Amino acid sequence: MGCQHLDEYYELCLIGTLTGEACTIIREHVADQCPYCLTHLRAAARTVYMLCQPTRTVRPDPKRRAQLLHRLQKK
Amino acid sequence: MKQRPSAETLSERLAGRDPEAAAELYDRCAPNLLGLLMQILGDRSAAEDILEEVFQRVWNEGRSIGKMRASAGMALVLAARARAVERYRAGKALPSLPKSFSLRKALAWLPSEKSVALLEERKELLKKVARQLPQKQREMLELAVFEGLTDEEIAQKLGEPSARVQSGLMAGVRFLRHRLAAVTGTWAANI
Repeated sequence: MGCQHLDEYYELCLIGTLTGEACTIIREHVADQCPYCLTHLRAAARTVYMLCQPTRTVRPDPKRRAQLLHRLQKK
Repeated sequence: MKQRPSAETLSERLAGRDPEAAAELYDRCAPNLLGLLMQILGDRSAAEDILEEVFQRVWNEGRSIGKMRASAGMALVLAARARAVERYRAGKALPSLPKSFSLRKALAWLPSEKSVALLEERKELLKKVARQLPQKQREMLELAVFEGLTDEEIAQKLGEPSARVQSGLMAGVRFLRHRLAAVTGTWAANI
């Protein structure tokens, strides 16, 4: 079965704004490695990435940066 | 001057548990992520907590991300947003939603470092394009992305019929999807 009927839903399911049947089908298809759904979800992620751009960037606390990287190094 | 390693190299180095790669990823992504988290939560301390939490998760999955040549930056953005929205909704006593993003499951479809590097390269142009969205559609999408509202909650907030909100959201996404493909010269099948 083709998945073209899901084309409008990938981004909105990824954002979590739509939660209906189409999203359930997409989740199932992705779990079954449906090539169409994987490709379209990959493309949808790029659109969502663009939507997630903040209006301004914020400089992280250097102390917290150092602590985090130190923790990672020890793992 | 030391040359900045390519995106692929960063992914490979993460897979190899290179702490310098972690530092580089952090410096590259953290200001943007913190901006996103602050925009959703409005609380610096909570935003920094989530930034650390998702960074740790992505580092823990570094081998798999590297093996798939997936974009760690993309994984960070999607995981951070999902976690922040979860916290935001809990703080507003909104019902919890089904998990929209799982890092482990996303490994099968996360875009490549290369394709995300292209987005980063053209980010300013893409932002300009996003500003061309009709006002109503942009408002709906912002409520969805930065407040984590469902279509029905958006409809309620804006006093619009649910069907109109759904079609507005879809039209907005369709507009962005097409512009993005035009700006980056890619269509779904080629990504």
